Amino acid sequence: MSHDEHSAHPGFDYQPALPIPNGKVCVWLFLSTEIMFFAALIGTYIVLRFGALVWPHPSQVHLSEPIGAMNTFILICSSVTVVLALEMSKKNNAAAAKGWILLTLILGSLFVGVKGYEYNAKFSHRIYPAAGPGPIYEKADIYYAAAVRTRLNELQTALQAQAEPSEQQQHRIEVVQSILTNYVEPAEQAAGENGNAVEAEQELEELANAVMPLHHAAHDTQGAEAEVHHAGLNDEHSWLKLPIRIPGGNMWASTYFLLTGFHAIHVIVGLIVFAILLFMRLDATKAGVVENVGLYWHFVDLVWIFLFPLLYLF
Amino acid sequence: MSDHSHSHSDSHGHEHDHADHGGLGKYMVVFAALCVLTGASFFTYSDLWPFKETPQVGWAFMMAVSCTKAMLVILFFMHLLWEANWKYVLTVPATFMSIFLVLMLVPDIGMRSHYVSEERLRHMAVPEEAHEDGHPAEEGHQHEGEPAAPDEAPH
Repeated sequence: MSHDEHSAHPGFDYQPALPIPNGKVCVWLFLSTEIMFFAALIGTYIVLRFGALVWPHPSQVHLSEPIGAMNTFILICSSVTVVLALEMSKKNNAAAAKGWILLTLILGSLFVGVKGYEYNAKFSHRIYPAAGPGPIYEKADIYYAAAVRTRLNELQTALQAQAEPSEQQQHRIEVVQSILTNYVEPAEQAAGENGNAVEAEQELEELANAVMPLHHAAHDTQGAEAEVHHAGLNDEHSWLKLPIRIPGGNMWASTYFLLTGFHAIHVIVGLIVFAILLFMRLDATKAGVVENVGLYWHFVDLVWIFLFPLLYLF
Repeated sequence: MSDHSHSHSDSHGHEHDHADHGGLGKYMVVFAALCVLTGASFFTYSDLWPFKETPQVGWAFMMAVSCTKAMLVILFFMHLLWEANWKYVLTVPATFMSIFLVLMLVPDIGMRSHYVSEERLRHMAVPEEAHEDGHPAEEGHQHEGEPAAPDEAPH
């Protein structure tokens, strides 16, 4: 019976479940999972950060707020260019649509470039997430002094192994020796059996501040001048690579690189898609594709809108 | 095949319906608003920001600004303002799950410093005044809400 009924309606039209194209349904389903993914990352960061006893100030981890603000501006501009590409595509103006997509690709690449520059600045200050004992120490205690001593001994052994040290190596030997006598030995003596606790704390603090000063306020008054004035031993002699002291620095590094890393991966995926779009004719028939790619890109912008104040300004 | 062509023409009709929405002028207004709001959250970093002593004010302000910016992007750039009611099916449950996820982390992770042992505290970084007092545990509790405050004092 049912068979008869079916054959009686050969022109039956299937109605879509949602009043939007299938591709857009998929993109939105994907984006709703992305909302939860980034909400988990950002939420965990917020909970970790506000539950921590100490959290480093942005200047202590060499974060530059103006650079972060600039990257925010770049991403907002790229969101606008995607929207304009969609408008042009809807109007069947394929050439203009491609032009806006190209501009978006350039802006996105600029964002990734700035991010890379920032990452490099962190790495050059030896700030990166590490499994086990990394280069970041939570406080200037005897363990920190011991780590500095170990590194200096390593350097000294390597330098003195040279039969005929060059002028540069001779200079390095002197630097290592002067750090040992001026900072490490006084700290070790004060922290030793015959020292007193208050003095030990001061000496250890001095050692940690000499390697990398904590309150290196780049935006103080003189900008560059202040930066030079506050430069630590690691900045003056990049080959030293001494352990550094940043209270809360390990947790900071883990969360910062996880959040910005996942965001950067999303930006790079977006850039690849934009590059593919450049090989297509973006007329009105492709408006749906441009819209879907745009939705993804706006979401990436959205995540950065939250990451910028949370990571740079809090 | 016929199904495919049908959905295609359907999507076209849809786009034409929406051609009245958006528009260059509207997008430019939203863009200007986003730039102003970015400037507003960056303003908390400048020396003119009057609430340096109470960072919580700045945090609340920045979160309000970020949520406003997010709503602008979602509503106008992602066209959610002009979509049918299916938008709630996808966005509301995801939002609820996100909020619950954060709340469920609070007891174990957010309040972890309440239950930390004396032995672990010895190796943990503690706020600066606490360090001088020699009573990190008690100080830690008092500064629960503003862990970064001692670091911000010199700026």
